[in-house]
Amino acid sequence: MSTPLLETRGVWQRFGGLVANSDVSISVGRGEIVGLIGPNGAGKSTLFNLIAGVLPPTQGTIWFDGEDVTALPAAERCVRGVARTFQVVKSFETMSVIDNVIVGALMRNTVMRVARQKAHEVLEFCGLAARANVLASDLVPSEKRRLEVARALATEPKLLLLDECLTGLTPLEAQTGVELVRKVRDTGVTILMVEHVMEIVMPLVDRAIVLDLGKVLVEGKPADVVRDPKVITAYLGDRHAVGA
Amino acid sequence: MTAETIIQSLASGLLMGLLYGLIAVGLALIFGLMDVVNFAHGEFLMIAMYASFFLFAFFAIDPLLAAPLVAAALFVFGAVVYLLIVRFAVRAKANAGMVQIFSTFGLAIVMRGVAQFFFTPDYRSVTHSWLGGKTISIGGIFLPQPQLIGAAVAMAAFGGLYFFINRTDFGRALEATREDAGAVALVGIDKNRVFALGWGLGAALVGLAGAIMSIFFYIYPDVGASFALIAYVTVALGGFGSVFGAFAGGIIVGLVEATTALILPPSLKSVGIYAVYLLVVFVRPRGLFGSM
Amino acid sequence: MDTDFAKRRRRDLIVAFCLAAIAAVVPLFVKDSYVQNIMVLTLMWAALSQSWNILSGYCGQISLGHALYFGIGAYTTTLLFTKFGVLPWFGMLGGGLISAVIAMGLGYPCFRLRGHYFAIATIVIAEIGLLLFHNWDWAGAALGIEIPVRGDSWLKFQFARSKLPYFYFALALACVAWFVTWWLEDSKWGYWWRAVKDNPDAAESLGVVVFNSKMGAAAVSAFLVAVGGSFYAQFVSYIDPESIMGFHISLLMALPAVLGGIGTLWGPMLGAVILIPVTELTRSYAGGSGRGVDLIVYGGLIIAISLARPQGLVSLFTPRRKEATR
Repeated sequence: MSTPLLETRGVWQRFGGLVANSDVSISVGRGEIVGLIGPNGAGKSTLFNLIAGVLPPTQGTIWFDGEDVTALPAAERCVRGVARTFQVVKSFETMSVIDNVIVGALMRNTVMRVARQKAHEVLEFCGLAARANVLASDLVPSEKRRLEVARALATEPKLLLLDECLTGLTPLEAQTGVELVRKVRDTGVTILMVEHVMEIVMPLVDRAIVLDLGKVLVEGKPADVVRDPKVITAYLGDRHAVGA
Repeated sequence: MTAETIIQSLASGLLMGLLYGLIAVGLALIFGLMDVVNFAHGEFLMIAMYASFFLFAFFAIDPLLAAPLVAAALFVFGAVVYLLIVRFAVRAKANAGMVQIFSTFGLAIVMRGVAQFFFTPDYRSVTHSWLGGKTISIGGIFLPQPQLIGAAVAMAAFGGLYFFINRTDFGRALEATREDAGAVALVGIDKNRVFALGWGLGAALVGLAGAIMSIFFYIYPDVGASFALIAYVTVALGGFGSVFGAFAGGIIVGLVEATTALILPPSLKSVGIYAVYLLVVFVRPRGLFGSM
Repeated sequence: MDTDFAKRRRRDLIVAFCLAAIAAVVPLFVKDSYVQNIMVLTLMWAALSQSWNILSGYCGQISLGHALYFGIGAYTTTLLFTKFGVLPWFGMLGGGLISAVIAMGLGYPCFRLRGHYFAIATIVIAEIGLLLFHNWDWAGAALGIEIPVRGDSWLKFQFARSKLPYFYFALALACVAWFVTWWLEDSKWGYWWRAVKDNPDAAESLGVVVFNSKMGAAAVSAFLVAVGGSFYAQFVSYIDPESIMGFHISLLMALPAVLGGIGTLWGPMLGAVILIPVTELTRSYAGGSGRGVDLIVYGGLIIAISLARPQGLVSLFTPRRKEATR
């Protein structure tokens, strides 16, 4: 089998005395949808930020597409093909929806006309075409989530990192979100998604990685993972475990 | 340069520094409360100095006695400024940061204009006061009495402020509002009232400083500008929003200014302050005691 | 909708061309030198504010220290001309380049600062520049430098008999500043800058190198402002630190953009066209008495407009898309 698209090797992250990630080694293969789950405070967001390049790990290396990207800042990783969304949406509020996406599209296309065209295609793909000329600040929350995805897709990533992009949506909205994620994967983009709520991700992902207390607890097929006693214990007492 | 001159200038630098702290603390308080920088702060100082001057000129009230009156007047003024201008500025939906900066800048310009209109651009001074021109000798070091008293007032004000914020109901409301203005509304604290009182308090503190400074500085419509920049530097150095930072920042600024004056020609004495300030923020972008 | 966008861009360009053409013929009919003087200043401040707007409006880094670049432009041209006989045109270019380099040098540490910390650092840096020129004897120190009159020529950029050449240069400068903004607005840089202003973290995640974007904006902005400073030195033919690098210069540069609409293409122009004549007129009618009425009017105008129209006056002309779609 070829090298995985993304790999973390023995990654540690300490904040002062707090250990957010300890010796985390995970890998994501090409074309996969992988779910990164775990209870609150499991270190999911930290690992996510390490992969996105927001901060460097205290120890360990991160490999993307066969290259050590540990020292690269977020913008450089984007050039390599890593794109992300934010848990708390970070739209460019004073810009229109299309302009938001153009910022992403400019990553690969420096000719404005081409970037604009690309942005329109992505908006169409994400079902936001009708809202292209609206200010980002005027979108409803579920549309803002989709804008995050659209903006990231416009950078033509190999790996899309989704940070709780389905949390907090109504069931109907979450369902459209799930369909969008599948559609993205069908275009050949690999997806790593962090989710807190298991019931949303489990039907969607090919493989699930469960983090607990900063460590990888269990890894495997969703069906196996949800039945694993360790996972059930970790989630026990957590109100979201009920559905899982 | 003898050891004595060095001690002499450091001592007066320290005294002046405490006063700088007192000028700046109102700015820090308001920023801490609602993330607004009052760009008319220097003009608040200016009208405080004028108030003190006129109390002296018309009623022969010594600036020391006038200080509480001036502080009270400035309290009212600060609260009114909040209610008439700042309240609306923070509500702006577009370019909020910009609106705050320029609405208070506009106020500064109006205040200068009003001062020129009513008081003329002439330089005024409190010609004779209890402390003016007097010095005291402590172990061979001569310290000017106005600055000495000013420093004492500043320390007392900082002590009082500390007590006030930590020990009184209103102080606690102030703290709670700066943490989360939305949540305090739920427990029945009127945010606008707290902000108005915060502005009043901030202005009263600079009023206190203005009354003391009227003893030994010339008073004219543009006098605020030179001290305003020092106040911004003091606050940024200490960390915006930190009352203790303003205190420490003031002392640092005073000492650095005194030291620079020993080395460089007097016209360059501010360069030392500015350089130290820049060095600090380049290393610690949120000042010495600002939350990182 | 693409065509809508292209149409709007083209319309902006046509409107600008028409306005410039109208402006160009006005002084042929208005011969009063006082009015011409105001027109020159209006165009100059429009150009300066437009340049300031690139860094502070589009890129969102509010500088209150642009007087530094204005001063460097003015001093470079003047010193090169008076000390070495270098023609002002080269001084203008040199001053612009020096300013751009200095802006990037200063940006290196300053762009780590955010919000008010950045704004105050820019004030302080400009103040240091002012103090240095104040104490620099070779550059005339506090007294300043007078530019000797060497005749009426475009080569030496001196015109004793008529204000018209200054007017046309100021007009050209305003057009260039506007055009540069227009051009950059629909370029990679323009999008990057707005993204950086709105949310630097999100911008970074989309491959925007935030630091370089700010540096680019600072360089362009400082270059254009310095050219304006060079022009001003030639126009008034006497410079001293206070009148060229004082804080009021930084403020005057920011105000038209703020009043007209910060981060917009037309804001600085509109702001300057209203603000500069008002300033000059109140100064000469009310300010002459030395009673501060001009300051009251001016300051009151700033408060009123910034509170009533935070998006700037330009929003009166373009119905906001926001309202249209709701």
